[in-house]
Amino acid sequence: METLGYLMDGFGVALQPHNLMFALLGAFLGTLIGALPGLGPANGVAILIPLAFSLGLAPETALIMLTSVYAGAMYGGRISSILLNIPGDEPAMMTCLDGYPMAQKGKASEALAISAVASFIGSLIATIGLILLAPLLANFALTFGPAEYFALFLLAFATLGGITGKNPIKTVVAACIGLMIATVGIDNTGVQRYTFGVLELFEGVDFIIAIVGLFAISELLFFIEERAGGGKEKMKVNKLSLSWKDIRDILPTSFRGGVLGFVAGVLPGAGASLGSFISYTLEKRVLGKKGYFGQGDPRGVAAPEAGNNGASSGALVPMLTLGVPGSGTTAVLLALLISLNITPGPLMFTQNADIVWGVIAALLIGNFLLLILNIPLVGIFVKLLSVPPMYLLPIVTMIAFVGIYSISNTIFDLYFMVAFGVGGYVLRKLEIPLVPVILGLLLGPEMEKNLRHAMDISDGDWMILWDSGLAIGLWVFAGLGLILPYIVGPLLRRGMKGKTPSSGSPESD
Amino acid sequence: MTFNDRIFGVLMIVLAVAYGWAATQFPEPFGGAEAVGPDTFPKLLAVVLAISSLYLIVRPDPDNAWPWSRTGVELIIAVVVLIFYAMLLQPLGFIISTTLAVGTLCWRMGARPTNAYMTGAVSAVVVYFLFSFALDLALPLGLLSFLEMN
Repeated sequence: METLGYLMDGFGVALQPHNLMFALLGAFLGTLIGALPGLGPANGVAILIPLAFSLGLAPETALIMLTSVYAGAMYGGRISSILLNIPGDEPAMMTCLDGYPMAQKGKASEALAISAVASFIGSLIATIGLILLAPLLANFALTFGPAEYFALFLLAFATLGGITGKNPIKTVVAACIGLMIATVGIDNTGVQRYTFGVLELFEGVDFIIAIVGLFAISELLFFIEERAGGGKEKMKVNKLSLSWKDIRDILPTSFRGGVLGFVAGVLPGAGASLGSFISYTLEKRVLGKKGYFGQGDPRGVAAPEAGNNGASSGALVPMLTLGVPGSGTTAVLLALLISLNITPGPLMFTQNADIVWGVIAALLIGNFLLLILNIPLVGIFVKLLSVPPMYLLPIVTMIAFVGIYSISNTIFDLYFMVAFGVGGYVLRKLEIPLVPVILGLLLGPEMEKNLRHAMDISDGDWMILWDSGLAIGLWVFAGLGLILPYIVGPLLRRGMKGKTPSSGSPESD
Repeated sequence: MTFNDRIFGVLMIVLAVAYGWAATQFPEPFGGAEAVGPDTFPKLLAVVLAISSLYLIVRPDPDNAWPWSRTGVELIIAVVVLIFYAMLLQPLGFIISTTLAVGTLCWRMGARPTNAYMTGAVSAVVVYFLFSFALDLALPLGLLSFLEMN
């Protein structure tokens, strides 16, 4: 009941005209970002953060806009999957399997409409799940002490690669690099660490610059190398002829997909890609011979879309309640929270209740906006898809420059961003994931603070780190997160790889 | 070939040692030593990085090919363009430097030069006006500052 009251207050925040306007803008930009290959959700949100700052938006408005971008990007990923057989982002790759065949049969607009409805249902279920689960989890998290938090952060890193991750050791290396960068600057005892006397480094490395450099600039370099921008033949979009029966047919599928996706999103180490994979596979199993999966079955479009949108809302649960994101894009949203001076974690639900519930309400409203945007206006997005990347990526890079420059008006930051871009390119070449680097940058200060608190409490006894049952549990799960990929990973990867076209997108969901 | 991971592993071990050694040189914080000082967390990180890098050296993944020859040159051109863009943003002003940077990038990525520089110019002017009038943010005008209206 209490939750309902908060939610009503949240609607009060989200329905204010200017917040609604920014939610609409975010939903539009997000769909666009998701639709354009080579501009993933994490990348897109990262580029927009500096702009949200320089606009001087209020915290809740900035957060509402970027959450809408996040939700929109998940909707948008399917457009290029269906029309071009190229997933706009990684979780959308399962949508290619039946979406592209449907388009080839001349049913592109039905596929787009069905996937929009499925996305809507998946998101809606997961947002309701979020509303029910988040306050419970936040309450539970209030019992965490510093030792538990330290272990929780380790768990976050250990599961970040996901159980389908290739080489968990590379995740560890990446996390170390990120945490090391986070130690640069003056620490809270006043000691200068790794600043080399450079004035710009005294306050540490601004993670927004690092994120934009690592994602946006390295993407440009990767694109130049691959030259995938020759332009694919475009699919013609027919006139929509969808009956209620078509929608009714996909409803059960969408419900199952949404629930599964939500669970996959909440659990550490799963994420949206796995969410859409599981929903698709399960649906194929459930329907058995009644379906014609792989040849353009509408349910094969609905299942993965409901799954990946469910997972993306589910992924907000650990981010909002524990301050521990489980994916690249939620990590970028966390960066936004931290730079807005909001301490993420369970206390946010009491201290910044208006912001949290405003965002959750905005997520609900955003879903309706997205459904409206995505059915009648899908033509606009299809047109924009035909902008060749060779024009698009330089402009995106320029916007990244403008955004970073507008934060502090210094050229040093721009050089820094380019350096991070080159570094990101090298790491990606070595298959070192970038998301743990960013998470390390974000969580580093909190992690060290909790370690210090724990040690202060125990008077320097390291045993405190695994003194409580909860802490031990977290350590065990963290260990499993690193070991399981070696055992289960190859099997799952084979399953996913056997069926999907290779994904061009480097970042995970 | 498995050179990439091995070389990277060696570099990371060097980094871990240098980073860990630097941590031992930190001055003691004001108020005396504590259980966890400024050096504890970095030392921990150095150890973890060193161990995991050792694993990379022992069990490396197969290499991804590096782009040599033409593509490599294109990549270097792109990075140089970005550095010049940052360098010239203030002296030349936003509109001119953006036209040059975006134009050159589009051109090197395969667009025809006229189209490329037109794209650069149009996007520069649009973003400039969007920023100065709609969003009220000042971008440097540089050489074009004589156009400034008061």
